[in-house]
Amino acid sequence: MINDRKLLLAVKDLKTYFFTEDGVVKAVDGVDFEVYQGETLGIVGESGCGKSVTAFSILRLLDYPGKTVGGEVIFKGENLLKKTEDEMRGIRGKEIAIIFQEPMTALNPVLTIGFQIAEALMMHFEISKKEALKKSVELLKKVGIPIPEQRVNEYPHQLSGGMRQRAMIAMAMSCDPILLIADEPTTALDVTIQAQILDLMMALLREFDGSLIMITHDLGVIAEIADRIAIMYAGKVVEYADKKTIFHHPLHPYTLGLLTSIPRLDVEMKRLNVIPGIVPNPLHFPSGCKFNPRCQFATDRCKKEEPSLIKIEEGHLVRCWNVDKVVKEVKKGFLVGV
Amino acid sequence: MNRTIRKLFSNTSSLVGIVLLFIFIIIAVFAPVIAPPLSDDPYQIPRMSWDIPPQPPGFLMSDNIRDIYVVMGTEIKWDKAICGTAEGGYDIFYGLIWGTRTAFRIGLITVAFAALIGVFIGSISAYFGGWIDEILMRITDIFLSFPFLVAAMVLTTILGRGLDKVMIALITFGWMGYARLIRGSILLAKEEIYVMAAKALGVKDVKIIWKHLLPNTIFPVMVQATMNIGSMVITAAALSFLGVGAPVGYADWGQMVSFARNWIIGSPGHAGQYWYTVFYPGIFIVLFVLAWNLVGDTLRDILDPRLRGEL
Amino acid sequence: MANSLLQVKNLVKFFPIKKGVFRKTVGWIQAVDDVSFEIYEGETLGLVGESGCGKTTTALSILRLEKPTKGQVVFEGRDITKMKKSDMRKERKNMQIIFQDPYSSLDPRMKIKNIIAEGMLTHNILKNTQERYKKVGELLERVGIPAGYMDRFPHEFSGGQRQRIGIARALALEPKIIMCDEPVSALDVSIRSQIINLLKDLQEEYSLTYLFIAHDLSVIKYISDRVVVMYLGKIVEIADKKEFFNDTLHPYAQALISAVPVPNPDYKKERIILQGDVPSPANPPKGCRFHPRCSKIMKICSEIEPKLIEIKEGHFVACHLYDKTLK
Repeated sequence: MINDRKLLLAVKDLKTYFFTEDGVVKAVDGVDFEVYQGETLGIVGESGCGKSVTAFSILRLLDYPGKTVGGEVIFKGENLLKKTEDEMRGIRGKEIAIIFQEPMTALNPVLTIGFQIAEALMMHFEISKKEALKKSVELLKKVGIPIPEQRVNEYPHQLSGGMRQRAMIAMAMSCDPILLIADEPTTALDVTIQAQILDLMMALLREFDGSLIMITHDLGVIAEIADRIAIMYAGKVVEYADKKTIFHHPLHPYTLGLLTSIPRLDVEMKRLNVIPGIVPNPLHFPSGCKFNPRCQFATDRCKKEEPSLIKIEEGHLVRCWNVDKVVKEVKKGFLVGV
Repeated sequence: MNRTIRKLFSNTSSLVGIVLLFIFIIIAVFAPVIAPPLSDDPYQIPRMSWDIPPQPPGFLMSDNIRDIYVVMGTEIKWDKAICGTAEGGYDIFYGLIWGTRTAFRIGLITVAFAALIGVFIGSISAYFGGWIDEILMRITDIFLSFPFLVAAMVLTTILGRGLDKVMIALITFGWMGYARLIRGSILLAKEEIYVMAAKALGVKDVKIIWKHLLPNTIFPVMVQATMNIGSMVITAAALSFLGVGAPVGYADWGQMVSFARNWIIGSPGHAGQYWYTVFYPGIFIVLFVLAWNLVGDTLRDILDPRLRGEL
Repeated sequence: MANSLLQVKNLVKFFPIKKGVFRKTVGWIQAVDDVSFEIYEGETLGLVGESGCGKTTTALSILRLEKPTKGQVVFEGRDITKMKKSDMRKERKNMQIIFQDPYSSLDPRMKIKNIIAEGMLTHNILKNTQERYKKVGELLERVGIPAGYMDRFPHEFSGGQRQRIGIARALALEPKIIMCDEPVSALDVSIRSQIINLLKDLQEEYSLTYLFIAHDLSVIKYISDRVVVMYLGKIVEIADKKEFFNDTLHPYAQALISAVPVPNPDYKKERIILQGDVPSPANPPKGCRFHPRCSKIMKICSEIEPKLIEIKEGHFVACHLYDKTLK
């Protein structure tokens, strides 16, 4: 427990592999994190790091050739990986909801917004279609869509990107889930719209003490809304700590690299740091630590042995052999030009 | 490219098609060896007799014909009609062998020219758009409104008899499909950023079509062309069957089936007596078209995963 | 005072909306509406705005990759909007572009050596094949790709590498100015700094001038010398970088800056949340286009469009709040 908050979701050593024609893709290969009630967990990583697959694994939304092959997903004390499909259907949408990056592909283009929200309500509650549609209008109003009585009968393509994302949030929140998973929900939106949507999500969650798993590559967004952060790289969590620790005392070279290579408004940067190389191909992961080819602190050990996720201090886990070197770098003042 | 070749050989139906095609190619190439010509024009089917009714397989050259060759001083390299003779004594076997060359000629030439014209018109239309597109597409529509076989028949009747006239007719009414096909592909492809990038470099329009658009859109046209080779041959055969097309006695499968026109039913009391006049040329046509269709089909299947971005 | 290399004067680009069987023009998408600015030699002009503001269309119109509806573009004293096609083609050597999408900006069927050499071939530079490919190799090395890879195809490279190839292609013609259209938006976060640093280094090395388009203000702040903000087809503010971020004048620009997330949990900023959506460029609001979402709105804002006025030296803003002629 942290701060007397209840533990809602615990993911332990989650492994999800894709068995493709070209070989086994270890998309998620050892992911651990916890989400507490009323808290926001930020999962940060780039394309191919396994963050979306993690989200789908939690909700068991994966199809062949993907398969969760190991680990546990303990939600409210029960392992979701052991539940039947029927039981999962009762959980999806009702207890755990998910919103996606591209609302246009997640929403059915031939059904009205109102109907899609009502569908979710009717699935989980014993109410009539009429009542469900009435609730849809209320929900659309709640997420800030103007003239909801009119919008409820419109189709996704008639709404703007921001509106569609609000509709998706309405759909997700319709059954008052206790946990919301948001997979890059604002990446495709303009920054002023993004601010609106983030504001909305935080307000809704505050209202009924819900938890959020926010998946994104944007460290700025994470700094605004997350309480705890898990940094993912090549299918594994490489650093896990609370927000202030990650931003002010990062211990993993990848985290440090990210923080020093992105341009930002608050600090005048003379030169951006560069993480050399490219994001590894999941079919050809390097041996040892997956980050070693790009790491400025890499030693021989890093090339041969993969480090485990170790607790460095209370509430701070890192997967790296050279934490002490990173600490030195951070002490030097790691933001160039500050 | 390697992937294409591998896929072509991995699939049973494709393999059958390739083997058949290969056999036909061998026949066409070695025609002078398999069925040595008995006159100056190898495409003139030699006659085994002056008899009108077809003669059964195994028929030997009749004496009066033999005498003519002796008088002309031509060596009689062979004298047995292995597959029998068609109406008028024309040797079926010889017609089949040299007809293979004709079939390839018809198929490849008509498809090549039709595709060339179609691709030219379609790409100009798609790239420049506007009224050029409107006019060219209306012209295409006009040509499309003529029923293919009827139009080809009318044109050959006007132009006169002869295989080259048949080919002209087939080309004239065969290019529209390619035009439409390439136009659709180019309309999509020209929106690609790399086309804009070429414009930004200052590359001229014609060069853009030639170097960027066509290489990226030509494959479906090639598949279509492959499939069409068979149907061109059949149409030519139909025209020959109807009496327009190849001159009498020309080594052309369609011609040979037309010789069977009066003898398909057989004679009273002997139904199907003259089966060999229909069967042999018929089976060659069927197998030839089948071969091209199988290969074309496989090419199309290879194309699909490419479309999904495997390349 | 540096030379003015490129002047955009009253540039307009409207796209017709066609409906019906006869393709009648029923309206216009006013993508770029009366835009004027200058780019000085050697500088990086950052052009920022959200989707639909017209920034990409502006760049494409400058290069005549879109035909401008009205207005003038003057490059090195020559009016390129009115030039003949053949003259414009020669002019293209001086003005190049790097595109946003590294996946569709390279012809998938061409080897990268030919992609890079195409410009040289078109303008008859380095006619000798060996010399040409030697230059291709040098360019590749300069952008960080081993020259030995030049016989490979685009699909064999990652997004970041493809973007480098695109940069090499633009450099091959030794241009004076390069339009960078969101060059890092489609790339992974850890790769972006590689490309940004590369562009910065190349600018110094080859004395390039950049029009750098982005929707990410953080990138704009890092790389630009001056900033231009666009909203719904219009310019709302122009200023030197420092001046712009120290003293942001236009309400939209202020809202834009406040909306940008900063990777610092302790960062305090004024929260300005804009209401509503960006209106459609087919039907922009009357008067000031930003007025329906503006918190500082006055009566005149919904009636009269504000002009772009120079408030301080080099700092322009189009907003009635700063128009001292209003009483």
